[in-house]
Amino acid sequence: MSVPTRAPAAPRRSWVLRSGFLRALPFLAPAIVAYVVFVLAPMAESVRLSFFEWTGFVGTPQVFVGFENYVRIFTQDPVFWTAFRNTLIWVVLSLVIPLTISLLLAVALNRPLFGRNVFRSMFYIPGVLASIAVANMWRWIYNPNYGIGASLGKAFGLPWLSDIQWLGNQDIALYSVFVAFIWQSVGTNMVLFLAGLQAVQKEHLEAAKIDGANAWQVFRNVTLPALRPMTVVVTVLTFIGSIKVFDLVVGMTGGGPAQQTQVLALWSYQQSLGNHQYGMGNAIATVLLIVTLIIVVPYLIWTARQEDK
Amino acid sequence: MTSASVDTSRPILTRRAPRFGSRPRDYIRIGLWISLFVSLVIWTLPLVFIIFTSLKSEPDIVGSPVFSLPLHPDLGNFAQAIQDGNLFQVGTNSLVIALVKVPVGLAISAAAAFALARIRFRRSRILLGVIALGAMVPIQVAIAPLFQIINNAGLLNTHIGVILPYIGFGLPYQTFILYGFFRQIPAELDESARMDGASYWRLFWQIVLPLSGPALAALFILDFVATWNEYGMALVLLQSQDSWTIPLAIQGFQSQYTSSYGPINAFTIMSVLPVLIVYLLFQRYFVSGAFAGAVKG
Repeated sequence: MSVPTRAPAAPRRSWVLRSGFLRALPFLAPAIVAYVVFVLAPMAESVRLSFFEWTGFVGTPQVFVGFENYVRIFTQDPVFWTAFRNTLIWVVLSLVIPLTISLLLAVALNRPLFGRNVFRSMFYIPGVLASIAVANMWRWIYNPNYGIGASLGKAFGLPWLSDIQWLGNQDIALYSVFVAFIWQSVGTNMVLFLAGLQAVQKEHLEAAKIDGANAWQVFRNVTLPALRPMTVVVTVLTFIGSIKVFDLVVGMTGGGPAQQTQVLALWSYQQSLGNHQYGMGNAIATVLLIVTLIIVVPYLIWTARQEDK
Repeated sequence: MTSASVDTSRPILTRRAPRFGSRPRDYIRIGLWISLFVSLVIWTLPLVFIIFTSLKSEPDIVGSPVFSLPLHPDLGNFAQAIQDGNLFQVGTNSLVIALVKVPVGLAISAAAAFALARIRFRRSRILLGVIALGAMVPIQVAIAPLFQIINNAGLLNTHIGVILPYIGFGLPYQTFILYGFFRQIPAELDESARMDGASYWRLFWQIVLPLSGPALAALFILDFVATWNEYGMALVLLQSQDSWTIPLAIQGFQSQYTSSYGPINAFTIMSVLPVLIVYLLFQRYFVSGAFAGAVKG
C-alpha cells in the first residue's frame, strides 16, 4: 500500500485532496480485511491448489504435481469438455435470447399503455425469486407424468407431447433448463433497458420523424445508439450471471442425465467437494476465473476511461 | 460499470401513463396491448400452476391436468410442508442471517466507499478496481478453499460462518455503487464542514450518510433479497439440517419428499412469499437499485 502523500503546499487545492492513505485507512480497514480474507485469499488458494493433488481432508498430504491437473482436465476428463461446451452455449444463448426479449418488452412498455405499470411489475417478479425456487417450480412443470407437457398431451390426445422427457432427454435437457433461465432473467434486464430508454431524447425522435424516418429507422438510428451504454452494462451483467450458472442446474438436473447438463461452476464444485479431487476441482475453478477476467478486466478499464472523460 | 446515481425521483414502475386518445394510431396500440397481455399470461402461468398444485390433494394432482382449477382447495399441503420442511426453523435462520449480514455489510461498504470517494490517496483508483473486480468473479472460483477456511475456524454450520463470507462477497458491488453515489455529493459540502472543524467521521456520519438515504435503502432491499436467495455458498457452509437456510430447505424438501408434489409446491410458495412481499412493498427501490448499478449520473 502506498504511503501518505504530503504534497507541497498547493493553496488552491482543498484539504480533501491533500490528505492521505492513513486517514482513509480506518474507513477502509474492515472492508479490506473482509475482502482479502473471504474473497481474494480463497481465490489465490484455488489457484495454488490447482497445482497440487489433494483429497481435501484436513491432515492428508498435498502433493505438488505442477500442471498435471490441467493436463488431466484438458485431455482425460470428458466431463470437463461437456461442461465447457455447455457453459459456452449457455453464455451465448443468454446474450441472444433473453436480451432480445427484454429489449422488445422494454421498448413496448416504454410507450404510454393502459396498465403498463402492472405489466412491468409482473414481468419483473420471477427475477426476485430464488433461483433454487425457480428451479423447483420448473422441475414440476417439466414433470414427465403430471407436468404441463404430459397434461396437454393427454388433454389433446398427442402422445408424442406427453412422451417428451424435458429434463430426462440428453439432447434437450440443457435447453429445458435454459427456458427457466429466460423466464427468470427477462424482467431484470427489461427494467435496465427501460432505465436506459429514459436517456433517449424526445427531440431527437421528433426530428427523425419530421425528416420522414419510419418507425424501424427511428429505432435503428436514434433509439439504439442512445441505448448503447446501457446495452454494454446489460451485456456484461448477463455474461457475469450466465458464466456462473449453478443453482438452476443443481435444482433441475444436478448436471444429469449422464452429465449432459454439466456446467463449469457445478463440475468444479462436484470435483472438489463431492469427489474429493481438490486439485482437479480448483483447476476448473482457475479456468473459470481466467475466462471471467479476460472479459471483465478490459471492461473495467474501459469504464474507468469513460469516467475520466 | 460507470459511476452511478440512484434516481428515486423518477421511479419507472410507478409513473402514470396517459389515457387513450381517439387517433387511428390507437389500433396499433391496442394490438400491441393485446400481444403484451398474451405474453404476460404466458409469463404468469408457471406461478399459477404452482399455486394450483399446492392447493390440490394428492389424488387430484395425479388425476387431473396441471392447469385444471383446484376445485376442492385444501390447505393441508401447506400445513404438511410447514411441519416436514421445518419451515419456522429455516425461516428464522434465513431471517437472522439476512438481518445481521445486510446492515453490517452495508456499513462496511459505505465506510470503504466514503474513503474511496472522499479521501484522496495514491492508487485509490486501483484499489477501487480490485474491489469492483470481486463483484464480477463467480463465487464458485473460491468455494472449495472457503470451505477449508470456515472449517478450520470451526464455524461450519453456524450463522457467523456464513455471514462473514456473505459480507466479503457482498462488499464489492455495494462499495462500487455507493462510491458512484458519494462522488455526486458536492465537494463544497466537505469544505464548509471542514471550516466548522468537522472530522472525517463527522463528515461521514452527519453529511454523506444522511444525504445517501435513497441509495442505502435501495441497496438494503436488494441485498436482503439476494441474501435470502443465496444458495451456492450456503450449500457448502451449512451442512447440518438445523442450520439450513430457505434455499437449502427447498432443495432438501425436494429430494427428501420426491413425489409429494402438493407439499413441495406449497413449500416453494411459502419460501418465496417474504421476498414477494418485500418486492411489492418496496418496488421502487428495485428499480432505483437497478438504475444505480447501471446509469451514468
